[in-house]
Amino acid sequence: MVGSKRNLAWTIILITLVLMFFYLPIMSMIVFSFNSSRSLTSWSGFSLEWYKALFENREMMSAITTTISIALLSTLVSTVVGTFTAIGISKSKRLIKEIILNVNNFPILNPEIVTAIGLMLLYTTFKIEKGYMTMLIAHIIFSTPYVILTVLPKLRRLDPDLAEAALDLGCTPLQALLKVIVPLIMPGVISGALIAFTMSFDDFVISYFVSGNGVKNISILVYTMSKRINPTINALSTILVVIITIILLSVNLYDILKKKDLKEKE
Amino acid sequence: MKRISVLFLIVGLALAGCKQNTEQTLKVFNWGVYVDEDLIEEFEAEYGVTVIYDTFDSNESMYTKLMSGEVYDILYPSDYMVERLIQEKALQPLDKAVLTNLGSLMPSVLNQSFDPDNTYSAPYFWGNVGLLYDVEKVDEADLAKGWEILRDPQYKGQIYFYDSERDAFMIALKALGYSANTKDSAQLEKAYEWLKELNQTMDAVYVTDDVIDNMIAGNKAIAVVYSGDAAYILQENPSMRYFAPEEGTNIWVDSMVIPENAQNPKLANAWINFMLSADAAERNTVEVGYTTVRQDVYDAMLEGDYADNNAYAVRTDNVRDEVFVYDEDMKKIISDLWFKVKAE
Repeated sequence: MVGSKRNLAWTIILITLVLMFFYLPIMSMIVFSFNSSRSLTSWSGFSLEWYKALFENREMMSAITTTISIALLSTLVSTVVGTFTAIGISKSKRLIKEIILNVNNFPILNPEIVTAIGLMLLYTTFKIEKGYMTMLIAHIIFSTPYVILTVLPKLRRLDPDLAEAALDLGCTPLQALLKVIVPLIMPGVISGALIAFTMSFDDFVISYFVSGNGVKNISILVYTMSKRINPTINALSTILVVIITIILLSVNLYDILKKKDLKEKE
Repeated sequence: MKRISVLFLIVGLALAGCKQNTEQTLKVFNWGVYVDEDLIEEFEAEYGVTVIYDTFDSNESMYTKLMSGEVYDILYPSDYMVERLIQEKALQPLDKAVLTNLGSLMPSVLNQSFDPDNTYSAPYFWGNVGLLYDVEKVDEADLAKGWEILRDPQYKGQIYFYDSERDAFMIALKALGYSANTKDSAQLEKAYEWLKELNQTMDAVYVTDDVIDNMIAGNKAIAVVYSGDAAYILQENPSMRYFAPEEGTNIWVDSMVIPENAQNPKLANAWINFMLSADAAERNTVEVGYTTVRQDVYDAMLEGDYADNNAYAVRTDNVRDEVFVYDEDMKKIISDLWFKVKAE
């Protein structure tokens, strides 16, 4: 009994330490977003001026819109392309499957900076003007392999007869795909989409090399502010943390409520 | 049908993102947080144009982006980078007929060695490099030692040293009484020894822009800083003082230039003149905190906002103060030596 009590104490201490390690930086960032002076490390009083400054800063607002719209669009395209590619791969012969999968893994294993320089040189060679479209295309390129990789395991567990049954029962091939296969692999598709979204949202290296013409995302903006970083960055990050917390909470609550609902029905 | 219309919506959204501009545009590439942003909108309204505003964090990353084929109408390089761009024939001459405000600038920022007649560049902000010290921790009599104070054992563990090879070697060369632009390998070797000894005996912490926040918090007694950053630190922490050692220091000038392949040089000249007007220059210096290049604004600042701030005024009467000269070979040598200093 004594031993297990001591174990419990150790567990609590360790968990607290780990949590502190994870969350202290975020906490300090949130606290200093309310600082009344420009300093990021010395506290001088409470104020909301940096939140006001954030919404008045046109450069920052446009960076936020760019980041969000690129993340949404690239997620959409890469999820659709990735899902259908994965379905295609799962139906191919073993050799082709192996080859395609290895080709698909290449950009994932490749260091980001190599992809970035490669894209930059490609755009420059073909004299494509860098801006919103080049950045969007780059984001689609680097997120699609992740979607393929997350959707494939779901397909492997899928009963191959289901699609045929749907066809037998009068579905057109497209209907069989959209009404039977896609709903069954939906959890994989959703986690693929989430990975694609986060990859795009916080990408710096590739975006930095493929954007131009005044188009920049939040990461690029923060990077070029290096000399004069001020608490508007903290304010922005705080808002993002709050949004992410709300999303996570609601997703989890939704799951819990749904399970409860199912149990009650049974 | 519904799905097809969703597809169209996506394509439409994507295309809307890269809207085509038929009106005139001006592409500007400046340091991050180096302008009063409202001025950009005012310029757009006054000239009926769109300004595409990009930012960079160092001369080198600006140069890389330029070499990758990016085309801009206006760049803001520092002195030695202006020199390099002139040497590589990457700039076009300014239109002096448009730049009426050049006459109101301080004589000490014009006609510098990197561009003797300001053929290619118009100054924007300037300053020097010096020492920031805490009056409560540093005996002001020790300041007579100049740069050598950085190697004074009584301040061991109390020093922030700027992590930039060129500035580090400038300090060592000046402390030894040499030119900051020397190509003499014996002198560079001595500077290397000077820095090595500092590194081994003083427990100096190498910092870059984080020095600003650390000195506002008063974490150490002495720091190497740029005068513009010092002016800001002095406003936030009253026990800090700034001084540039008598042995001389580096004077830097960030300038505006027009690349050779600019799409809209006419508008670019108008932009430069607009930014050098009394109103714009004043708002920029208030917003950014760096020293203005306009004489009238400079005088007004010294009587107003920066009356008690000894970092805002840039020393001009010391013959040992130098502007950096660009030299590829020297750059390589000091880069290797600086690496060795920090590795030991």
